Amino acid sequence: MRYRGKPALQDKLAAEYVLGTLRGCARLRFQAWLREDAALRRTVAEWESRLAPMAAGIAEVHPPGRVWTAIQSRLEGGAAAAKPGFWDSLAFWRNWGLLATGCAAALVAAVALRQPQTIEVPVVQTVEVPQKGMQPSYIALLHATAPDGQKLVFLAYAGRQSDELWVKKVALGDAPAEHGYELWGLPATPGEAPKSLGMLPKDEKGTIKLAAAADQSLKDFPALAISIEPASGSKTGLPTGPVIAKGDCLKFW
Amino acid sequence: MDPAQNQVLAGLLTACARRDQAAFARLYQSTSSKLFGVAVRILRREDWAEEVLQDCYVSIWNHAGSYEAGRSAPMTWMTSIVRNRCLDWLRRPNLEVAIGRPDDGDDPLENVPSEEPGPLEELARSADAKALRECLRRLEARQRQAIMLAFYEGLSHSQLASHMREPLGTVKTWVRRGLERLKGCLGTV
Repeated sequence: MRYRGKPALQDKLAAEYVLGTLRGCARLRFQAWLREDAALRRTVAEWESRLAPMAAGIAEVHPPGRVWTAIQSRLEGGAAAAKPGFWDSLAFWRNWGLLATGCAAALVAAVALRQPQTIEVPVVQTVEVPQKGMQPSYIALLHATAPDGQKLVFLAYAGRQSDELWVKKVALGDAPAEHGYELWGLPATPGEAPKSLGMLPKDEKGTIKLAAAADQSLKDFPALAISIEPASGSKTGLPTGPVIAKGDCLKFW
Repeated sequence: MDPAQNQVLAGLLTACARRDQAAFARLYQSTSSKLFGVAVRILRREDWAEEVLQDCYVSIWNHAGSYEAGRSAPMTWMTSIVRNRCLDWLRRPNLEVAIGRPDDGDDPLENVPSEEPGPLEELARSADAKALRECLRRLEARQRQAIMLAFYEGLSHSQLASHMREPLGTVKTWVRRGLERLKGCLGTV
């Protein structure tokens, strides 16, 4: 939080963020601060207003009708309707995850910076690392997809050589009756289908038995997602219900 | 955007926060061409811009409740969502591999026009725009060029440096000083 109490630095960072020259980890870190700091949000809004006339003059382009159709089907939510949007957002998150993986420190800082009332418990204490002398590990931080996309709702942790994925629902209510939550690995390769990692336990905390050690089971998935499925899991082997949370699966080594 | 239009759009956003789908449809009708124009301008690919636009309207619908009328004009708020999403899109690491589009060249700058982008005439003709245009004019030419390339083309510091054929440090200084001077100037005109 080196920018705190330094209004000139805050202003400079806000200006470069709005202009678009704040990049990579610095941008992620700044976005995390932004979520926590109302004064910083004001500074950003001021810069947005200053530069707004530049965007206001850009020539209009009429978007094709399919864009509105796609938006509507994404908002309707249902399994069939959600499908195109689901893939779209997967593409977005998958790629974003690649960047975030390189910015693990920034992201952990982002989580640590959250107010206790938002996240309930600091992430470092929430994830109960099994003490088996294995530092290298995977950690996944999943955020709600809607209505408040910023809210951290789910954490998962696995030691690199362990086939046990430790999970905690931070703010994930019960699944609808006769349904359950299924956890998916989102591959880095475009077009490749998500892979089921298993159903989440009913309890707030628990473990999922992975098919193989985390190093095998998670290494191809820069991001994870949770969808609502029949209690016994998706019958198609692919997500069929709405995706309610997604986020990065970070490697720590 | 005149005050009356701002008021209409702010009203539509408030209605969206109450989950009024008809209001959302009207908001889309009134703003999508503008926002699509912004996305096309930065991404220079209509197919990418379509995906970004979709995401942005879903986000606008989901976050309409967090729009604060006192803080920024509705169009400014929505444009910022679009610009930020475009920048996130552009800075995905390894864009070609991630998207799998063979027609993407290796040089991200190959499509950047060599002349200064975003001529000052492109600025809207409102009073705010007049002030900004005047202040941009008062900047040194290279500062102005760096700022406009970054804003309109989504270039990073290092892309600016290679496009402008100047050392990275020099370009960073132009951007920083340019923004400082812009702020100072806008406070006085």
